[in-house]
Amino acid sequence: MSTASRERKPNFFYNIAKNYPVVVIFIVLVILFSILYHERFLSPANLTATLRQFVTLILFSIGPTFVMLLGSMDQSFIGIWMLGSALLWILTPILGPISLLVFPLFGIASGLLIGLIHVKLRVPSFILTLSVLIVYWGLTVIIVQGNPRIVPGYEFLTADFIPFIPTPFLYSIVIILLAVFIVKRTKLGTYFYAIGSNEEGARLAGIDVGKYKIVAFTLSGFFSGIGSIVLFQHLGGTVPVSFSMNNVVRPLIAIILGGTPLSGGRGGPQRTILGALTFSVIYRGLYLSALDAEVIDLIVGLILIVSIVISSRGGELRGVEIA
Amino acid sequence: MINNNNTKGSMNKMFSERIFTSTRIPLLVVVVVICIFQMVNPTFLSYQGIVTLVYAMSYFLIVACGLTFVVMMGSFDFSGISIMKLSALICVLYIENFGLWVIPIALLVCAAIGFINGILVAKLSVPSFMATLGISIVVDGIALLTSKGFLHLMNDEGFRSISTTFIAGIPSVFYWSIAIWLLCTGLAVLTPFGRRTYAIGANSRAAALSGINIDRQRILVFTLSGTLAGAAGVFYMSQLGGGSVEIGGQMMIPLFASVVAGGTSLRGGSGGPQNTLLGVIIITWIQSGLRMLGTGLDTQMVVLGIIAIAMSIATTDRNKLMRSIVK
Repeated sequence: MSTASRERKPNFFYNIAKNYPVVVIFIVLVILFSILYHERFLSPANLTATLRQFVTLILFSIGPTFVMLLGSMDQSFIGIWMLGSALLWILTPILGPISLLVFPLFGIASGLLIGLIHVKLRVPSFILTLSVLIVYWGLTVIIVQGNPRIVPGYEFLTADFIPFIPTPFLYSIVIILLAVFIVKRTKLGTYFYAIGSNEEGARLAGIDVGKYKIVAFTLSGFFSGIGSIVLFQHLGGTVPVSFSMNNVVRPLIAIILGGTPLSGGRGGPQRTILGALTFSVIYRGLYLSALDAEVIDLIVGLILIVSIVISSRGGELRGVEIA
Repeated sequence: MINNNNTKGSMNKMFSERIFTSTRIPLLVVVVVICIFQMVNPTFLSYQGIVTLVYAMSYFLIVACGLTFVVMMGSFDFSGISIMKLSALICVLYIENFGLWVIPIALLVCAAIGFINGILVAKLSVPSFMATLGISIVVDGIALLTSKGFLHLMNDEGFRSISTTFIAGIPSVFYWSIAIWLLCTGLAVLTPFGRRTYAIGANSRAAALSGINIDRQRILVFTLSGTLAGAAGVFYMSQLGGGSVEIGGQMMIPLFASVVAGGTSLRGGSGGPQNTLLGVIIITWIQSGLRMLGTGLDTQMVVLGIIAIAMSIATTDRNKLMRSIVK
């Protein structure tokens, strides 16, 4: 009896630490950085910068989270932002502000295409989305002829209306809520978790795995598209032409840190928020230190490896096929 | 009984099939590529053009052979280009301290990085593409730190002559890379090492149950891949005498495209270095052909990215794998 009652009243903090280890990392890092850079880290300027970093990470990582729930991988999100911006540059003089819709539309089309190729033609998603990303990057550079073109007229997207809180942060809250709603409150979400934790089992239970995989890739494209509407102005309002693998890797780190493992089946957008927040704090902390940019890149790479190793140590992955 | 009697014969037949049946389509593509570029650009097959093509494909063939072993095993190695760059950098930075001994040192460092890849994949159960992606970022960081972003030039004539001595009108780097390719093909087709790699790629669980130490084999293959990438870096530096290897994920695309274009399926268990030679010829010749026509890196990447996707589709044996899980 006594053991049962002890189990029924588990320690709240212990539970948090066990189920959300990233929360502990987050709190430890905030305390650590607050002590290390005591005046600068908690200054309003740095908090705003951290929020801006968080917005960039979360808007890039919310889409791929859907795909990673299924245990697949989507790296095309940077490509949707790049090529979408190039299309926006073409369309704005013709259609005006309505051409912002090119982002979600292109995202959906791209996600659908990737999903169809992945499911119907059996190409592994990691390499497929990487190739697609490189193709999008090349097309972007071809379209804008190598120049980072400025697209004016969208400054209203990031105009402040609450001091110290970047407006894109407000948009991102809406987008996050939509994503969490889909995963937590709809049939789709349940199927995603089922497929991610055991694809063969989900198939035997009568779930049309191929269809829902295509849906997941389409949702990923859609959310990357919506995110890119905000990110386009948030990241300077120009068509990006330089490609860096770092941009691809950082959102993926946010997802994995948050607790969606590469094998899928656990986590979700609500967890990615924690991951993005933690990684923004890490990144700001590194930025405030006197380290070179190259050293920061190196540390980010190490963080990626360590977070994957930790996330793959979870019980479920033991004995599962690795590729 | 019949099977027993014919084991040796069918074994030989299997290997000859492995080499010849899967090379028909790539061979056709090579001919088409040559015809197209020769029509558009009459200097494509001139002597100078051929030397350019040979230079472009040689070091690339070596790093592609390493990746082929990993893909044959059903895994992926993202770090080839980064390791190659680091190896080239080690050669140029430390040649004055160590002389030509810098080559084994560079190879050792690269083998060690490949070994770490293998440990991450085999012992820590990290999916190979993410493990090697992480390692490639770390290696890129180390390379940037040691080079401090400057361009370094190789002044050592002895080191340069490894690649640039002309034998029978063709630079020596070509003979080196063909020799390494032959070794790799022998390793894949004739030795137990190669057969174990194919077995793990075809069905790792069955391979483990039949007594193959798959962890050890995975570590060995990743170490081999790292070492070959390091060797490619040495030849790259001795061939070009300096310059920066283009940074980043986009350089993975031609490398990966040449492996799948040869016919090594991403699902593992098929293909091999013997196929990769044709794949490397297709990809590097398309790239050089486009470059001779004056197109930029962006167009090349669009073309190669589409080829990479098309070839991964073409090399997937769909009948066999329709019900298996693709992540």
